[in-house]
Order: sequence, then structure tokens, then C-alpha cells
Amino acid sequence: MPVSKRILLVDDNALVLEMMGRALAKEGFECMKAGSAGQAMELLKDERPDIILSDYHMPEVNGFEFRQNLINTDFKDIPFMFLTSEVDSDAMLEGINLEAVDYILKDTPVQVIVSKINNFLTTVREQHERTLKELSKAAMALNLHSVPQKLPAVTGFELDFWHKSFQNYPGGDFIDFITVDERHTFIVLGDVMGKKWSAWYFSFGFLSYIRAAVRICISEGNFSTKSILQKINSVVYHDPVVNDVLSSLSLVLIDAEDSVIRYSGAGDLPLLYYSSKNDVAREVRSSGMLLGLMPDGDFDEIVLDLSKGDQLFILTDGIIDADTDNGKRTDYNSFVEAVTPFLRKPFADFKASDFLKWKTKEHIDDCSLIYFKKTS
Amino acid sequence: MILQTTTQQSALVTTIQVKEANLTVSEKFKTELFGLLDTGGKYIVVNFEQVTYVDSSFLGALVSALKHAITNKAEIVVAGLNKDILGLFQLIRLDKAFKIFDTIENAVADKAK
Repeated sequence: MPVSKRILLVDDNALVLEMMGRALAKEGFECMKAGSAGQAMELLKDERPDIILSDYHMPEVNGFEFRQNLINTDFKDIPFMFLTSEVDSDAMLEGINLEAVDYILKDTPVQVIVSKINNFLTTVREQHERTLKELSKAAMALNLHSVPQKLPAVTGFELDFWHKSFQNYPGGDFIDFITVDERHTFIVLGDVMGKKWSAWYFSFGFLSYIRAAVRICISEGNFSTKSILQKINSVVYHDPVVNDVLSSLSLVLIDAEDSVIRYSGAGDLPLLYYSSKNDVAREVRSSGMLLGLMPDGDFDEIVLDLSKGDQLFILTDGIIDADTDNGKRTDYNSFVEAVTPFLRKPFADFKASDFLKWKTKEHIDDCSLIYFKKTS
Repeated sequence: MILQTTTQQSALVTTIQVKEANLTVSEKFKTELFGLLDTGGKYIVVNFEQVTYVDSSFLGALVSALKHAITNKAEIVVAGLNKDILGLFQLIRLDKAFKIFDTIENAVADKAK
């Protein structure tokens, strides 16, 4: 979790507001200032602070009433501190009953106030991280993984992947390798359009549908990636549980015997295909739309004959997002440029590259990259 | 408010008022856009002129609103995409799902057709 410090100050005294604002800005806080509870509610509609510091004695709506009003809204989880000259212990108690997490007396020196806020934010953050860890542990215990724990062995191919979740939350990207028999292996890479827990939850839903569709088609002797996608799309489109959630999907079938791959995509990014004979890399684009978007996803199936040394990269959008001096941007070519110098080197070298290291640091989105190479 | 909406002829033109359209605003964007559809908006132009970056959760919200629009027999079109965002729409075939216009004027004019 990044250390962000946006604070909402609420005080009817313009002088106190200005003074506190300056002192907190000096300490790296980004301050939102409101002269009344009403104004504060307006500001909250636009931006969510990490903490609220509110005066107690204010005309019209006082600090307690303000806090009370927040309890019935989405803002109730924002840590709240009272800044009060009120020394009456009953009022303090009332404040605590309102789940007001702390209070500060107004005559406290500014430096002490700042460090109290900092400590408080740290405690909240640590609590949040502990909860996250517990949830992750529970997910692990239930054996819920949206990325595989080991790589399949495919004769004549080398396979690997790289995955980083958004700010270390499990997220919307999902990866799976489905080994049908020695000859056929499916590679699945999807991205549920969202982040963190809700996307993570839906990624299991999608993954279950995909696994089921693959198995059903295979049992019918149908190895067409296009018809598998059509089946998945139709189910997702009609299922009210998931049809409000959209997902991209790249589905690749490796036929190890014929050295052929079949590929269909749903709203996914183009694959990058490197031909070792010609020593060039090119995009391979599919035509399908996002899963569940339209009753007919307009899917196609691309067949590629692979020769020794040929490589394929399958990726999600986190890989092509970059933080630049002019803000964030999305650029597929940035990935192509980064991977090109590594095409004649082991994939491990690219995994250790500055480009992927930087992706880990930037934490823009879930990032996933699947790689495979024909080795014989 | 993420969106600022005006009526131009019989179209609703709604402007996204953030530079980075990401997870922090996607839920709000979705609620507001659904609101426009539920209050009877039949032709909505989503204006991206102020946006420099969109992430997948924001696109997810847009696409989800499109599905809602289809159910409501309404239409959502997009305009003012910068080069990167237009490229992204094309890369993931969102250009098949949305009509894309270079300017608001063209988007509004198309409604009249």
C-alpha cells in the first residue's frame, strides 16, 4: 500500500484551518479544507481523504453530528479525529462511542498533532496489511489460486510466465495451463476488468467456466479454440452473476505433435510472435470481443506453424502501461521495444530485466506475461 | 462528480473530468453513467478530451454501462480519445462495440442522422 497522506480539515475558524493546513502541508500532507460540515460533505464527493480531522464546536452541524452523518455513508471507514477544546469527559466518551477513532485537544502543539496523525495513520495501515495477510492466508488454505503453482511439461516446448499483482493484492488477472494429454496443452490468460478483491473473486468464476468449456469441448473431440470461446461467451453473456463483469481472454492450444498452435482471443492484447528463421517479431491479432459483451463475440481462430526457436508472448495490459513524466500512458510498443533485445536470450534474462523490475515498482495494474518457445 | 453533462441538440454530452481514469474513479463513473441512462438518456456521448490514461477497471465500467444501454435501448458513443487511448480501444476491439468520433460535434451530428 503506497503511503498517501491526504487529509480533510474541517474547522469553522479560518485562521485555525489555515494554520493547520500549512503545518500539515509542511509534513507532506495534501490538505483539503472545509469551513463547515456541509462543505466537507461536498469535498468528500470529489475526493476521498485518508483521514478526517474535524473541529468539535461548529455552528449548524457540530463535529459529532458530522461524524454521525458519515456513519451511514461510504465514508464511515475513513479514519476520523476530533480536534476539540472540549475537555468534558462525557463528550469524549460520546466521541468514542461514535467509533471516532481518536481525538486531539486544540491546545496541543502542532508538532505533536502531526506526529499523532502520523502514528494513527501508520496503525490503520498496519491493521489493513494484517487483514490482507489473513485473507490471503485463507485463500491459500482454500487452495484458491488464480495463477498456477507449477509449470506443465510440454514435449519440445519451453514454457514460463511472469506475474505481479496490483499493489500485492490478488487481482483480476488469471493464468492457467490445462494439460489434456501429452500432445495437447491449453494456455489461458485472462484479465477481469477491475482490481483487488472483487476482480479476484470473479477471476475464479471465469476460470471455472473456462476449464469447464475446455473439458466439454475436448470430450466432444472438439479442439477448436474458437468454439471453446463461443461456448464460454454464451454462458457468461447469459449468467446474471457474471454478466456485469467483463473479462478479456487469450486462449492458446499447443499441439506438440504437429508443432502448431491455435489461438483465439476475446478483447485481449495481441500476442507477440517471434520467428527465429526470419529474426523478426510481429503482433498476432485476434478479432474477438470481450467475454460477455455481445451475444456473438465475433471470434476467429489463428493457426501458426512453429519452427525451432520460435517464441510467443501472451500478455495483459499491466505490461503495456507506463508511468512517464507526462503521467500514465498505455503503449504496446513499449513492450515490444523492451523485449526485442532479449529475443535471442533465455527468458530468465528478460524476467530479471529492468523493464519487468520497473513494472513491479510502478504498481499500476496486475501484470502478466506468458512465454513459450519451440525448443526442438 | 466525475462527469459533467450538458445537452446538445437531443444528445447528452458527458465529459470525464479526470486525467487518469482508473480504479479510484471507475465505480463512481459507472454509477453516474448508469444514472444518465436510468433518467432517460438515449444517446450519450462520453467525452474523453481531458483523459490521458484509462485502466481496465475504468474500461470495464464503460463497457458495463454499454450493456446497460443496450438493455435500455439507448446508445453510448465515445469522442475525444487521445492517440494512446484510441490505440487501446482498437487493440482490444472496443472499436467494434463503440462508435468512436474525433470530436463532440461529429458525435452529436451523428445522432441527427
